[in-house]
Formats: sequence, structure tokens, C-alpha cells
Amino acid sequence: MFEVIVPGLETSIQDYPGRIGFWNQGFPPSGPMDSWSFRIANLLVGNEAGAAGLEAQYMGPTLKFQRDGVIAITGADMQPKLDAQPVPLWESIAVKAGQTLALTSSKTGARSYIAIAGGIDTPAWLGSRSTFHKAGVGGMQGRALQKGQVVPVAKGKGTPGRKTKPECRPTFATDKIWTIEVVAGPNDDWVDEAGHKRFLSTDWKLSSKSDRTGFRLEGPQWTFTEKAYKKAPENGAEPSNIIDQGYPLGAINLAGQTPIILVNDGPSMGGFINPYTVPSATFWKLGQSKPGDIYRFKSISVDDAQTLRKELNAICSASSIA
Amino acid sequence: MIYEKPRFLPGGDRYMLIEFGNEMNLELNFMAQGLASIIEKSQTKAVIETAPCFASMLIHYDPDAIGFKDLAKEMTSLIGSLGPSDDIELDSRLFYFPTCYLDPWTKAAVDDYCAKITKKKWDPEFVAELNGLKDVHQFVRVHSGTEYWVASLGFWPGLPFMMALDPRCVITAPKYNPPRTWTPQGTVGMGGASTAIYPVATPGGYQIFARIPVPIWDTDKRFPQFEKSICLFQPGDRVKFVPVSPQEFEEVEVRVKDGTYVYNVVEYQRFSVRNYKAWVKTLNKNERF
Repeated sequence: MFEVIVPGLETSIQDYPGRIGFWNQGFPPSGPMDSWSFRIANLLVGNEAGAAGLEAQYMGPTLKFQRDGVIAITGADMQPKLDAQPVPLWESIAVKAGQTLALTSSKTGARSYIAIAGGIDTPAWLGSRSTFHKAGVGGMQGRALQKGQVVPVAKGKGTPGRKTKPECRPTFATDKIWTIEVVAGPNDDWVDEAGHKRFLSTDWKLSSKSDRTGFRLEGPQWTFTEKAYKKAPENGAEPSNIIDQGYPLGAINLAGQTPIILVNDGPSMGGFINPYTVPSATFWKLGQSKPGDIYRFKSISVDDAQTLRKELNAICSASSIA
Repeated sequence: MIYEKPRFLPGGDRYMLIEFGNEMNLELNFMAQGLASIIEKSQTKAVIETAPCFASMLIHYDPDAIGFKDLAKEMTSLIGSLGPSDDIELDSRLFYFPTCYLDPWTKAAVDDYCAKITKKKWDPEFVAELNGLKDVHQFVRVHSGTEYWVASLGFWPGLPFMMALDPRCVITAPKYNPPRTWTPQGTVGMGGASTAIYPVATPGGYQIFARIPVPIWDTDKRFPQFEKSICLFQPGDRVKFVPVSPQEFEEVEVRVKDGTYVYNVVEYQRFSVRNYKAWVKTLNKNERF
């Protein structure tokens, strides 16, 4: 168990892969935005890769441990200190009852992950402990952590001093420029050739109006094929309007002229086209970028996206821990 | 139109969108609902979940268990096994909702959007004009003149996507560009030919013009309708909006708050696709109420 002394900007309980199987009722999976760092943190402390842990964004929490244990911090560098002494990222650390872990603002990356041996033991809701803030479900009372809360942790045995192999850690952009893989579709045939070229050659800026439901992008206007104009009226009048359809997670959803990448807490359906989809293995890059950062999109095939996923899953395994 | 062959479209590494056609009609929704139900019954391996909608269905699959092309093959054969939709008969509940059309709350959200994001015409005026209706009052008459068919749930937990069952009440509307940043809870809106109710205050892109005081999802399960699911609706339900004044809206709101509100639902009816189609044939679709 630990007590929340300072909650941080929006520190939430998440598990991986989250709340799966309720997309047809509109429940998103939630879960960690950067599941690479998250899974490694769990493996470091001897948990299942998907066990419930903490996601801190931009500004981390201060936590006081109520019993001895083992933790690991991965992801963004929020300069963690244990009783005022700096502690390393990407390795397991012993903590004692009464000690205080303090994270500050992120230097590189946007989201830090804290795993605790045993895993956080809040009640699961629809099969997952992940917090879905907007609807107020999961986590603790459906919200980000609040000052004074005591978070339950299951019993577990971790070993301090275990390290992540350097080649198995994600590399965060230091120049604020990210290459984001995308797969064309499902609605790529609504965008004309010039539109596709523009999308793939533009430096898109991540808007500050972004959160765990969607990442808004700032950039040029889109242009469309005939399909976007010559359509039944029930599609809606704007070129990017389509008969409401299911949205893939990671879809680049064209709301009018504003592309929004639908992420972990995003909507399951709606009436805008999705010309491209960010594959699952690229989500960690979204999770570690900050408003103002630049995205450059790179089109890959379905097969390539599935290969990337296999490669990432292989990294998120015990073989990456030394 | 309904496509001769459905289209299989990729969504990244783990989704497939199956498009049955490019218009909104019940036939397409029956195909999507039908496919979702046989996938569930057949326990198709590698399919994690499905999300049927008006004219399409999204499949979330496990790419470690099946490739995109093989999944498309498997789906083609399942779709081939779907029978004619005329034979479909479903239990269909009918929900009556007190509905405050042209209400002050959605008006405030529109005014706020105009002030902060971009100017636009008041939504009911805009939609009435676009559909050749005389004024906002005829718009209310037409919009509330039909039962709505719950085609699917999504966008937000429990949010129903609905279609007008009476073709004389079909209205269409474009969506907001850019979307609104907020919408009051219980707002009724439409985009394309779809009508929806916002379960909670969320951003949104539909034209908005009415509000209901009755919860359509409830994590606290305060009413018996939520015992089995925190979402009120299932696909195949029907909804009827009953126009009420702001005063009546507020009276019902009080009853919802103190827990004495009684949901107005009829549960004895079955919906027959054959009967429905026969009835639609008798109507002059150009008539308006």
C-alpha cells in the first residue's frame, strides 16, 4: 500500500491491455498510452507484464510507501527521488515502509510508469482496473489519483537491482520530432492523391487540445476524392462526413478539417472518415510526445504493422531484463 | 446502395472494417447485426470483438492468430451464410422519453460554440432550412413524429445511434466543423440521418436541438433498468421522443434525482422486418407531418 501525498497532474491506475471486449457498447480499452515502458516496469518487479500500475503524465506524483516492497520506474524521466536521493529509471528498486518517492516534471518523454511488485489491487470494473476518467470508471473512484488516497497493492515478491537491457528501452525524440508509422485505411479512398502526399510530407504539430481520448493535429487543409462529395445525404454534407461507423483505435479521424488520432480512451464510433490508422506498436511514441512536438507520418503496410507488433511484444518479455 | 460484395478495409494492424453498403437503411444494419451475432455464435477464433454500425461492422482481431486476408475469407463465408433479412423478427422494447425540444440548455452550448469557436446558425433553424421544413416548429413535429430504431451503441458508453423508422420523418444534417468541445448530458442531436442521445456531457459533432432528463446510462444502477447493464439500450430497441416544456423537463429531472422516476417502456412487442417493409411500401415518403 502507498499513500498519495501529491497526486501530480493526472496520475492514474492502468493495466494492460485494459478493458477489452466492450467496444460495441462504447467502452474504450483505456490502459497505458506507452505500453512498452509500462510492460517493462512490471517485468522488472516480477509482475505479469499487464499488472495494474501507475501512469503519470507531464508532472509526476509524490507517494509514501506503507510497507517494504520493490518498485520500478520507466518511461519519461521525471527525475524520481526516494527520500530526496535520485533513483535510476529502468531498474527495480527496494523501498521501505515510510519512504517517500517524489517525481517532478518530465525532462524527456511525457509519461512515467511506476510498477510495484504484486501490482495495484483496486477492484476491477468490467474486467480491468484501468481508469477511464471521462466516464468515471475503473481505477480509484473512476478518477485520477487524489491527495490522501491510500492505494492497495497485492502481495508480491520483487528483486531489486534488475535492469532493462539498454537496447530494449524505447528511445524518445530529443528534438521534438517523431516518425509515426501509419497504415492507409479504412477510408483512404476518400482522400485524393494530393491529400495523401500532403499528409505524408507535412510536419504536423501536436495540439495542446489533446488528451487520452484524442490527439489533435495542426497542419494544412485536406483535399478529397469525388467520393467525399458525391454521396448519399445521410453521410452528412461535409467532405469528411461518412455514415457513422466503428472506429479503430489509433484511427486518424478527420473531424471536419482537423485530424484527431483516437487513442486509449477514444470513441468507438462516429461519423467522420479515418484515412489512416496508427498501428498498436507505434502507440508508445504518441504516449511520450508533448503538445508542440512534431509528427512526421510514414506509411507502412498491414503486414509491416503486424511485424512491428510482434517485434514489440518480443521486447516486452522477460528476455529484456538482466 | 448495398454492395454486391462487402468491402474489407484495414484499420492498422488489428482492425478490419467490413462495409456492406454506402447508405443508411435498416437492411444494412440487419446485415451488420446478423454478422455480429453469427460471429459470436460461431466463436470465430482470433476475433476479439465486433462493433456493428449502420452500414458496416468493425472487427478487432488478434493478428497473431490470423492474417488480414484469411480473416476476410472467413468473413466472406460467414456473410454468405446469412439468410434473408425479411425473416428476422426481434423482441423490441419501446422507450418513451419526455423531450424538451428547442431547449435553453443546448441553445447555450450552441451560443458558447459561436462565441468561442466559430459562428453558425442555431442548429434547429439550420436543419429545418436544409430539409425544406417551414420552421423550427415543423422540424420538432417531424423529428418527434416517428419511432427511432437503435442501430448500434458507441462513440461513448451507451450512446445510441438511431434511425427514423418512418420514412416521412427522415431528416439529414451535416456535422459540426470543427466539433463542439462540450454538449450537455441528455442532449438529443443528429448528424447524417442518425439521431443520438448524449449519455453524459462530452464533446460532439451532431446538430443539437433537444434534451431529455432521463439517464441512459448509470454506473450507480439507481434504477431497475440498469441491473443487467449500465447501458440502457440494446440494438433493436426503439425510442419515441415526446415533446415537453422546460417546466415538465425540470419536474422529471427532480424525480430522476430523488429516485422516484419511472421509466416508460413497453416490452410486449416484436419487430417484424417483413411487416415493417410492407408498411413502408404503403407510404408516400415525400409527405411531411
